[in-house]
Amino acid sequence: MAVACFYYDFASREAQSPTNMLGSLLKQLVSGLGAVPGEVEQKFRGHKRMIGGRGLRLADIVEMFATVSSSQRTFICVDALDECIPRHQLEVIDALGQIIQRSPNTRMFMTGRPHIRGVVERELGGGAISVSIKPKDHDIATYLRVRLRKDTSPEVMDSGLEDDIMKGIPGEASEAYVAVGGQGIFVSNILTSANLL
Amino acid sequence: MSRIFAGNINSFNNLSNNIIFTAADNESKILTWLSPLEPQVRHQDIRDQRVDGIGSWLLETREFKDWYNGSEKKGSDNTALFCYGDPGVGKSYIRYGKPSVRNKR
Repeated sequence: MAVACFYYDFASREAQSPTNMLGSLLKQLVSGLGAVPGEVEQKFRGHKRMIGGRGLRLADIVEMFATVSSSQRTFICVDALDECIPRHQLEVIDALGQIIQRSPNTRMFMTGRPHIRGVVERELGGGAISVSIKPKDHDIATYLRVRLRKDTSPEVMDSGLEDDIMKGIPGEASEAYVAVGGQGIFVSNILTSANLL
Repeated sequence: MSRIFAGNINSFNNLSNNIIFTAADNESKILTWLSPLEPQVRHQDIRDQRVDGIGSWLLETREFKDWYNGSEKKGSDNTALFCYGDPGVGKSYIRYGKPSVRNKR
């Protein structure tokens, strides 16, 4: 089994172009193989022969994905799709859809804010299942406990205040924790629990 | 005679080292060509932050199970799982949460 992850990040969005993003997923799979597959090397040599060298195109990446994932079950994880530059979003989701179509061993795990759900479902057709992430009180309490343990000003904390926080916040902010640690923690937890990391 | 033989062994070793070096060099060029990005760094950060138990309920949902165990037929359904959630106001709440809770005391 192979796993490749990509985390969109608002601060690095210019560098996270569609080819760089999809190429980095492919790169993780290729480096996990131990040796570069012949098809990938051939394409590399072919591109180098072009005058001045030719950059990768999404179509090349989709094609190489099919080769690299053909021999093993492959999981692709993409975090915070909504942080991709809007003009690139459609291109990326379309390429992910092509990868799913052409690489039958591949399964994709994606996260994002609700407003891009429509685009994801439309571009991935019947292939996508959407799940609403609403953390349970238990999740929030667990997360708060960890945060409080890492408090940088422990001297202002006493057991009464800790009790107030633990009782007050989960009830008042039932969906809050996604924002606190970002969905990244959630993604990481899911993937490790499912033995994907 | 043995010196000549030893010399041959050395030259063979040098040659094989060069071949290994060239293959590794070539692989690193190909990997950089695939993408200059290094998502492993962020990946490690995320891994370090993980907290046991959070979100494990998702693993028990039908949606997750269908996705994880789904068939591998070409073009089959359930090949992608999209988890959507609104960040909402949580960040601000937690950040300023302590003083506001303290004021209630």
